[in-house]
Amino acid sequence: MSFYKKFRLHKKDVHSPKEKNPEKKRVGFFKFSCCTGCGFELAYFQRSLKETLESFDFTFFRLASSAGSPEGPFDLALVEGAVTEPFQIVEIKKIRAASKVLYAVGSCAIVGGIPAIKALAPEMEVERAAYRERLYEMSSTRPHVIGDYVKVDGCIRGCPPGERDLEEALASVLIGKEPEFIEYSVCMECKMAGNACVLLEDGLPCMGPVTNAGCGALCPAHHRACYSCFGLMGQANVPALKGKFRKLGFTEEDIEKRFFTLFGALGETGQ
Amino acid sequence: MTGASAFQKDYKTIIPVEALARFVERLGEQYTLTGPVGGGLTARFEDVSSFSQMDLDYQSTMLPPGKKYLFEPVQEVLSFDISEGRFLEDHKDPQMRKRALIGLHPCDVNAILYLDKVFLGQYTDPFYRIRRENIFTIALNCKSVTDLCFCHLVGAGPYLKARSGYDILLTELRGLLTDSGVDSGGSGADMDGGEKKFLLELASEKARDLFHALSPDKGKPPEEKDLAKIKEMEAALLKTFKKNLDMEAVQNALLARPDHHALKETADSRCLSCSNCVMVCPTCFCHDVRDETDLALSRVKKIRRWDACQDISFARVHGGNFRAQRYARLRQFVFHKLDYDTQFGMKATVGCGRCIRWCPTGIDLTEIAKAMME
Repeated sequence: MSFYKKFRLHKKDVHSPKEKNPEKKRVGFFKFSCCTGCGFELAYFQRSLKETLESFDFTFFRLASSAGSPEGPFDLALVEGAVTEPFQIVEIKKIRAASKVLYAVGSCAIVGGIPAIKALAPEMEVERAAYRERLYEMSSTRPHVIGDYVKVDGCIRGCPPGERDLEEALASVLIGKEPEFIEYSVCMECKMAGNACVLLEDGLPCMGPVTNAGCGALCPAHHRACYSCFGLMGQANVPALKGKFRKLGFTEEDIEKRFFTLFGALGETGQ
Repeated sequence: MTGASAFQKDYKTIIPVEALARFVERLGEQYTLTGPVGGGLTARFEDVSSFSQMDLDYQSTMLPPGKKYLFEPVQEVLSFDISEGRFLEDHKDPQMRKRALIGLHPCDVNAILYLDKVFLGQYTDPFYRIRRENIFTIALNCKSVTDLCFCHLVGAGPYLKARSGYDILLTELRGLLTDSGVDSGGSGADMDGGEKKFLLELASEKARDLFHALSPDKGKPPEEKDLAKIKEMEAALLKTFKKNLDMEAVQNALLARPDHHALKETADSRCLSCSNCVMVCPTCFCHDVRDETDLALSRVKKIRRWDACQDISFARVHGGNFRAQRYARLRQFVFHKLDYDTQFGMKATVGCGRCIRWCPTGIDLTEIAKAMME
């Protein structure tokens, strides 16, 4: 059932075939430096793919089609990946200007994710390790989250995001309401699922207490420590969890790695 | 149920564990049997198919059994078809299968009595009501006390004093007993030589009817010396509590010190705002109701989910967040548990110690209160 058909409930005089739904929202999906996992997640949006295509017109989505133009205008821009190259800075500003609503999608765009690992060393050292003799052809920048360059209307967190937040984001655009994204800790999902606590029972360095939920506590449910792939939640108390890890006997190096090199190196300073 | 009955708790009998097992298994023909499995401090309430699967020597569970089965973490309360303009399911009259909750400790029974006040008080919650009506509660007095228990400070344990609101109360008799005469001094060890026995007290008409209809062995009435021994066991158990706090003094005293440095220091240095305390609390009843619309915009579901005062979005309202600071959120939990008796006429803590045990940094609300009283 499309938005248009639903709308007809109230305005019986309106009629138009569903395929030419004038209410269809124009969506652009853009990729910066990342693994494209968020794009795949949307393409495999299993529960809601049909309804999504009935209500949205993906006028630019490179993973799904080589057709389409990145010029816009867009009702909604979804942006995955971190900014790591100068040309991307220009692109993200153009996308912002052409879009009514812009959501950052996934950890790379929101907290830095994997690309942010390079923030831990001087840029030239990183380039030297990666590109060797072609070093001087490189013009990469420090990694930045999307929100460092343009205003972001919402963050669809995850690596990749869960269906719940994706659906909430898209439905909000259709309804015209503020999306309610999950902001609480992984521990809440973990407790509601009744999982054993890997931090307290097994002494694993679980990042659940500071990490934004949305994954359904996937790792702890399988007796693995959360490594914060969704990024820190807004109200995270990082020093308190570091203190707990110290008490568990982890070294400063272990702890720094836990917080800064796995995911979200920009989590505390980015955004 | 829920204290409405004028049934007098006058029936007491001592039955051997085998007879109790047979009664429970007969009960299983009418009820789903749910009891503690796994044992120790990390037991879980789960559905079982036989009495022997349960570990009635368990000390505590992470999720409280009452909340787990009566007030579920996620509940769809309403679904609506926009295009057809009708409700999809009749959630006003939810169905529920009958469940026997076996082996609840006194703190968890008292927590259910508290939840009754919340969900069956001024407004009746239909989801809670249907579950409550279909639950048969077999309470079990504690055999041991953990380092974090403080039920004795609020009258919620270690022996159950409430006379209604549950169905059966069991007390394991240790080391006494009428038949064998063995006395191992209430050390918590099962009797050697003698058989394991329970004092069984019926606390509802339903329990009386079911027990008389189903139990092949009605046991025999306790003798005076048995009851005296139980009193001794309780007195001995009371001496083993480690935690202490002057609850009288706490009353209204915390509210007078809302910005005490003990709150701020604990919040800054240790509180993760992760809400584990709230999740495992047997009396925390806060919930959030959100609409979830499908992408065809044809169906809306109202979903009720456990909420937590430690979460940043809990107190966010139009114009701001009235508990934006971490210590204000921690304060809400501590004060609600220890000081807001007027809300429902009873303390909101039952002293089970779960919030301390499952806090990643071990924040202890009784220690905060103590520091604030100094």
